[in-house]
Amino acid sequence: MEYESIKDELLSVADTGLKFAAKQDSSAEFEVYVHYGSVSRVELDQGMVTAKDGVAAGCAVRVAKGKRLGFACASGISTARVKKAVEESLSVVNSVSAEDDKFSGFCDPKKAGRECKFNRNILGVEVDELMRHCQDMTKEARSVDPRVKVVTAECRVLWDSYAVANSRGVQQASRSGSNRCLVYVMSIDGDERKTAYRHDAACDRLLHTEGLGKEAASEAVGQHHAKKLELTSVLPTLWGPEAAAAYVLSSLGQSAHGRAVVEHTSPLCDMMGAAIAGEGFTLVDEGQRPDGLGTEAVDAEGHPQMRNVIVENGILKGFLFNTYYGRLFGVGSTGNCSRGGGPFGTPIPYESVTGISAKALEVSPGTKTHDQLVSSIDGKGILIADDPMGIFHSTMSTGQFSVVANRVYLIEKGSRSYPLQPLSVAGNYYDGFKKLNGVGSNATLGLYGVRSPSLVFDGFTVVG
Amino acid sequence: MIEVLQKAVEYGEKLGAQFVDARYDDLTLRTLERTDDTWKDIQVKSRMGVGITCYVEGVSGYSFTASSTMKEVRAAAQKAFKMARASAPAAELRLPITKGSPSKSAPSDTLRVKIHPSERDLAYKVDLVNRTIEAAREHGANIKNVRGLYGELHGRKIFTNSEGSSVDWNYLVTDMRCFVISKADSGALVIGLEGNGGTFGLEYFESKGNTPEDVGGEAGSRAKEQLKAQPCPAGNLRALIDERLAGVLAHESFGHLSEADFVVTGASPLTNKIGSRLGTPEASILDSGLPDIRKTGGLWVPFDDQGVRGSSTTVLDKGVLLHYLHNRGTAERLSERPTGNSRAVSYVFPPIVRMTNTYFMPGNLSEQEALEKLDTGVYAIQSSGGQVEGNGSFLFIAVRGYWVEHGEIKYPLREVALSGNILELLTRVEGATRDLHIQSGYFGGCGKGDQSPLPVGLGGPKIVIGNVTFGGKA
Repeated sequence: MEYESIKDELLSVADTGLKFAAKQDSSAEFEVYVHYGSVSRVELDQGMVTAKDGVAAGCAVRVAKGKRLGFACASGISTARVKKAVEESLSVVNSVSAEDDKFSGFCDPKKAGRECKFNRNILGVEVDELMRHCQDMTKEARSVDPRVKVVTAECRVLWDSYAVANSRGVQQASRSGSNRCLVYVMSIDGDERKTAYRHDAACDRLLHTEGLGKEAASEAVGQHHAKKLELTSVLPTLWGPEAAAAYVLSSLGQSAHGRAVVEHTSPLCDMMGAAIAGEGFTLVDEGQRPDGLGTEAVDAEGHPQMRNVIVENGILKGFLFNTYYGRLFGVGSTGNCSRGGGPFGTPIPYESVTGISAKALEVSPGTKTHDQLVSSIDGKGILIADDPMGIFHSTMSTGQFSVVANRVYLIEKGSRSYPLQPLSVAGNYYDGFKKLNGVGSNATLGLYGVRSPSLVFDGFTVVG
Repeated sequence: MIEVLQKAVEYGEKLGAQFVDARYDDLTLRTLERTDDTWKDIQVKSRMGVGITCYVEGVSGYSFTASSTMKEVRAAAQKAFKMARASAPAAELRLPITKGSPSKSAPSDTLRVKIHPSERDLAYKVDLVNRTIEAAREHGANIKNVRGLYGELHGRKIFTNSEGSSVDWNYLVTDMRCFVISKADSGALVIGLEGNGGTFGLEYFESKGNTPEDVGGEAGSRAKEQLKAQPCPAGNLRALIDERLAGVLAHESFGHLSEADFVVTGASPLTNKIGSRLGTPEASILDSGLPDIRKTGGLWVPFDDQGVRGSSTTVLDKGVLLHYLHNRGTAERLSERPTGNSRAVSYVFPPIVRMTNTYFMPGNLSEQEALEKLDTGVYAIQSSGGQVEGNGSFLFIAVRGYWVEHGEIKYPLREVALSGNILELLTRVEGATRDLHIQSGYFGGCGKGDQSPLPVGLGGPKIVIGNVTFGGKA
């Protein structure tokens, strides 16, 4: 299948499936989702090459008979596989009496939003060009310092499309594509191993790999001779853009989901309109940013994607919903339906039932530079350079977190001092937002698709 | 299907590949999820596809297709070959595979169970989840949310390669879980969870300790206990960790570092350390695809996704590093035996070095003796995950715990986080209990690279550790 014609082809498959489903049981409501995704990936790991090129394609069918619901999916998008998914979904719904009394129908048709601005040159990137990027990043990293012993570089080109058709008249499709790269460096000095990474990702341009290897290697090397903090104390912590993005994603990025709100597992569920963060904090889920990697015309159930404000100047303004939870909350969908979304995504979304995920979280930049934030910290503080270990293992409901920051520096008297050995940082996400003490101007797209500047929090316990 | 795969192997060889392997999965996955009184999810998935790996000059190229037609499978073989050929000139580290004896499976390689999940209808499984939720409600308090889950995965895995291997076996995983969230008087939300899975027939969920009533009741009771739990003190403390947390420690912090793809590149701190003492004599860690499931639980993996027969590998023997975990290429490179650890999440991914069931070996203490050995510190229980970095630093989250003074449990603790460096921690293992339990399942699993979640087993006895960093309240 070709990028230019993919939407029409998938819509045709979805429509065929829907018509077949209606013939099987005219009393039921159906939704047919069809996905096609192409990926080429090359990894150069210390000279060891692994390469992959393939197409993941599959279909998913949801069926509702009154309040009884069924879901089935199948790999492949041939007519036979789509029919299998339809038949399996009907067998599910016909064999159980369990009901979801809150269900009130699939997504209603609406005008689609816009797709991302996709640079078609990305489609022409061949495996040898991906390999050349990997070699360049590796060479750059190794040239920094002989202690740079381990370099892993990865490049990928991916494009995909999906179509949704349902009994209510939704017939929508979207497509997107991107190219991404990552270089990971380990510098070894005796028993001391220090790591760092850099990445680039874009849908509207070709990759910019120049300088990434050098930056990652310089940061890894610069962490050698780290000292032990020798302290258990409550200290101000400055989270760099990568670290702050991970903090936002694993806290508000989860607790603002409509399911957690409706089911009362989110501590935000009764706080609409309340001040939940410092005044300088604004968080938006931008599902229609032209160069956004999460931008699609419609979400995974065919509802247009949108721009949704979650927090504005510290005040909780909104949550993220798909159709099901949006109706239960009385506000409708915000275009955040997903299939297997979340921080790490999935190449096989058709295997996941519909859920909710942010499309592209963005923390609005403040006015202070990163260096000004460093100098704003009196006495001792901690700089966390990138996403700490364990950040995605914390519990959104309780807000309690405890992480290990590996790339971490001491801040003393308003300036960045020496690197520290890994240390534990613990606290409560939501208390942290209330004690937010600074928002940087350096908003950057993080590895997990969240755009955030540096953030300064007071009140976390540091053990090192 | 084996004929289609064999033709793909022949085609890859004809194109110029020195070695080709081809595998076919035809798996069924079923998930049931009820939240409070609402059925959130009743689903069935059919995951069928083919994956082909071609090796050119010690470099692998991988491709896959959701189709099983000869035309599409040949196209996948061609793509795999093209990727390998285009990548080969850039490779500095090559992992060629030398042809050897073919692997052949027998019907006995598939673990037989009393009640296969395909022999029970959906209503039976719906009832399991309903009973779990009711039990949680009966034993819990101030419940805000209760969730019951059932999952099953089963089906055929077929494999062949340039050696003429012919492997055909049936994969099986079943699982049942319960999660309870309660609200404390302070407004804080607390959690309780219970459940287990592995290569079990449905008779497992009728056995003592594993019935829906047992699982739901335990989750409810634990959430209730957490209503009065206190925050864990921060700092360096003595610790007793339960079987499930010991499993996460074995898997996350040591198992990943012993995976030989990290070793051949030098990324693992265990590189060049075979024969070195890394821990106390009380610390032994195994990885086995063939555990005694009736006795310990776990996951049955008789062959990996390179057709290598599953085996038991002692990675750490009484504190001494003995062996790494391998795919065929890394085993050949490091002159060790293949260990059956080349696994893929699905046909969409190439097999990479992964664990099967990884666990600490039991010691000789009773639980009371372990508490006495702990003396004063934290008894950390269950895990909601963990992570390790290439420098050996780790972090695990224990779902709950107890504060222990002079060998006596004093009061419950909320979620606790343990961190440190694995190579230091192994030198502080002071003892282990006699029991061995392996946790596995359908829900969750291991993540590596972009492949997640892969069902694995992890476990051990309860372990006393001299000094661990706890993140908590200063």
